[in-house]
Amino acid sequence: MSATAMMTDTREIVVDEVFPHAPGIIWKALTTTELIGRWLMMPTGFEPTKGNHFTFQTTPAGEWDGVIHCQVLEATPNERLVYAWRGGHEGNAEYGSRLETIVTWTLTRADGGTRLRLVHSGFRAPHNAFAFKRMSEGWPKVLEKLETIVGEQDSTAADD
Amino acid sequence: MTKAATINAVMRTLADPTRRAVFERVVRSDEITVVELTRGSGVTQGAISQHLKSLKQAGLVAERPEGRNVYYRAQPEGLAPLVEWMSHYAVFWRDRFANLRTLLKEIDR
Repeated sequence: MSATAMMTDTREIVVDEVFPHAPGIIWKALTTTELIGRWLMMPTGFEPTKGNHFTFQTTPAGEWDGVIHCQVLEATPNERLVYAWRGGHEGNAEYGSRLETIVTWTLTRADGGTRLRLVHSGFRAPHNAFAFKRMSEGWPKVLEKLETIVGEQDSTAADD
Repeated sequence: MTKAATINAVMRTLADPTRRAVFERVVRSDEITVVELTRGSGVTQGAISQHLKSLKQAGLVAERPEGRNVYYRAQPEGLAPLVEWMSHYAVFWRDRFANLRTLLKEIDR
């Protein structure tokens, strides 16, 4: 099954894969605190209820404490889970810069299981022009990164 | 061009595998002409020119005319918008999907 992690021109990250499991078990993995902690990160205060606020602790950067503030925007069991994903600080340039995004999980029936689609949307370039600093790592590093980011559109992950 | 438009252009431009290959060759050369890029590429000179035009519009390459030739070189600034949160999360989510696949195998017996 083709598994792509790609960036579209609408500034979204899309990952779309078919899992050989029923929607119910996948929903459970997406919405049970202990299970979320095992594949994503351990959330604090998560409830799969619209309006619920929860957080993830990630790596701090500069003036940002690394906390991702989330809010459940939609939770339709076995079908759709949407939460806001916010963090970062204006003072940071690349990793750790201001982040105001939305994470959407969609589950649909597919041959041999369930298609799980993640859309992480709302990315935008930083306001601060200085954030566009010249890359000091040099071209080999950049190309390597480019291969990771853009090349994924062509790559196919091994199926289980 | 606004920064948001820039990031769009970069994404769109590099999504094409042939264009990405052209870009990578420009990157690996100090400066290179259309003729040199066409040689051994298996693509027509006209196609290479079109790709260069797109790359130029996305701010990924710059050109320098000299006599009858035009020399192209890479512009690292054009890639800067990519090396941000999106690259971080593109890798992050792919890894997390792999974790999820493993977890589901364990809990769904």
